[in-house]
Amino acid sequence: MKEERIKKLLLFFSAAFLMLFCIIPFLWMIVVSFSKNPDFLSEQVSYFFTLNNYSEIFTSNAVHLIAYLKNSIIISGLAAFFTTIIASLSAYSITRLKFPGRIIIPVFLLGVSMFPQISLIGYLFKILTNLNWINTYYALLFPYITLSLPLALWILLSHFSRLSKELDNAALIDGAGRFKILQKIILPVSLPGLFSAFILSFIFSFNEFLFALMFTIDYKARTIPVGIALFEGLHGQIPWGYIMAASVIAVIPIIIIIALFQKYIMQGLTEGAIKG
Amino acid sequence: MNKIKINTLSKNFFTLRRGKVNALNDINLEIECGSFFVLLGPSGCGKSTLLNIIAGIEQQSTGEIYFNERLIASPSKKVFLSPKERDVAMVFQSYALYPHMTVFENIAFPLKISKLNKDEIKRKVEEASDILELKGLLEAKPKELSGGQRQRVALGRAIVRNPSVLLLDEPLSNLDAMLRINMRSELKSLQRRLNITTIYVTHDQTEALSLGDKIAVIKDGEIQQVGKPDQIYDNPQNLFVAKFLGSPPINIFEEKVFENIPTKAELINNRKNFLVGIRPEQIKFAEKDKGLFNAKVKMTSSLGSEKVIHLFTANSKFIAKVSTDLNISEGKDVGISFEKDKVFFFEKESSKRIST
Repeated sequence: MKEERIKKLLLFFSAAFLMLFCIIPFLWMIVVSFSKNPDFLSEQVSYFFTLNNYSEIFTSNAVHLIAYLKNSIIISGLAAFFTTIIASLSAYSITRLKFPGRIIIPVFLLGVSMFPQISLIGYLFKILTNLNWINTYYALLFPYITLSLPLALWILLSHFSRLSKELDNAALIDGAGRFKILQKIILPVSLPGLFSAFILSFIFSFNEFLFALMFTIDYKARTIPVGIALFEGLHGQIPWGYIMAASVIAVIPIIIIIALFQKYIMQGLTEGAIKG
Repeated sequence: MNKIKINTLSKNFFTLRRGKVNALNDINLEIECGSFFVLLGPSGCGKSTLLNIIAGIEQQSTGEIYFNERLIASPSKKVFLSPKERDVAMVFQSYALYPHMTVFENIAFPLKISKLNKDEIKRKVEEASDILELKGLLEAKPKELSGGQRQRVALGRAIVRNPSVLLLDEPLSNLDAMLRINMRSELKSLQRRLNITTIYVTHDQTEALSLGDKIAVIKDGEIQQVGKPDQIYDNPQNLFVAKFLGSPPINIFEEKVFENIPTKAELINNRKNFLVGIRPEQIKFAEKDKGLFNAKVKMTSSLGSEKVIHLFTANSKFIAKVSTDLNISEGKDVGISFEKDKVFFFEKESSKRIST
């Protein structure tokens, strides 16, 4: 009995600690975003609540927050969409069709994803300049698809390979072609996997900083992480209030997506790990 | 309805772990129109591979398959028809129902693929669900169904488009014992009613004996014997077939058990290196010293309608099956006899049957 209680207490405290560890910076961000004197490096303790930071970043012409947010959502959404489509096609062929080298491909892709981004950036910049793509959506869309593809592919590989091959065979016997099988059977059945692949690659693209910093010049294509980082204050001050308010706004789309699809994501993430 | 003919078919493939594997070797079969044909063998013998090859899910390495006079698959002639073109339907061991579709959609799937119009699909699905008593379940999802109901949905999906050949891959092995026996007779009467050429794969010999018009016994990718159920049971061609059919299994004696039996010479025509097989129900009991040899009763156990008796002699153990009214007590010495023409002899080396 006693042992049980200690176990429960330990579990409670470690869960509470982990949750606080993750959530305190987030709360701090929200608190600062509503603060009138948001310089948290100074020693003053006075706190004045204000909505000023929010109204400023939305109304000020110099900030372009809405444009950044729009760019981010469009680029990440498109990148995640195409990544999921490409990954599902390749995951299906790797798990179902017999062709030489099908075991090597995912490993090879994983290797590619391990390249540090910084090592690619010079060449990519050259290529994108020659294509005249700098400061366009394409400059970010294509690299993002490439970089998030391995993750999505591995998620879907684990999903598809757990689906019984008898399902494919049954559909083959029923007269369906390979593409019909993917479209009518495999994709609907692995919806949770598709959601988690989509959302993880969305989050990857949404948060990506380095490429967005290098390949965009202004609000036409700049995404929100770079936009926030380049906020300028008067006289060299760091405008913490704006930065935090913008960060809070930037988190909202992701929270909405996750809230909508939470059920599927949990299923998708855990199902891959433990054999049902 | 189709007659199926398989000529010198073999299948081998290469795996990293096992190297070259001969899954099927020189298979020759002829399956008559509208018959219920059973492929029987232990797991891993290649029976499911053969079924998949007939279905068109896998491709054989050599050999030909004909449906009636039409060539269906032949690697040497570069012919390979898809399952759709072969017009086969199949029920899988796991049923392989589409989990995201309702029962109606599952059964309708093959019809939708072949682009029938809505009314026709509805009519045919209702017809099939009538036959299989699935009427009230059409809106349910597979996970809400019991094993027996899933089984019937899988059957419904198979028969809904009137296939020329119905392939069943261990369809009853996931059901519990009572249901299995019920489904067995339902399956047989369904097949009779629809008159579809049916191939049924199983490792369960009672299933094979009760269902099959004909049985092919397969071991290690080779056909051991083809015949009607009673032919295979009463007249096995080799030791494997004799052992695989029958429950409890046939008793196999080393020749030395018979050394002191006076009738030995008569029994085996002076052959050497042989094994003797006697089915448990052929063993007759007599008073001690009145039979061919003596044995001691070790244990008796009741099967309800029959009784199984475990016996032993100085150098062998064996089993007899008798009716329950025969009173035999444990620990007693008894005389054992059997009819000479009900005994099988097998060569020790090749395990082939010695004809007597």
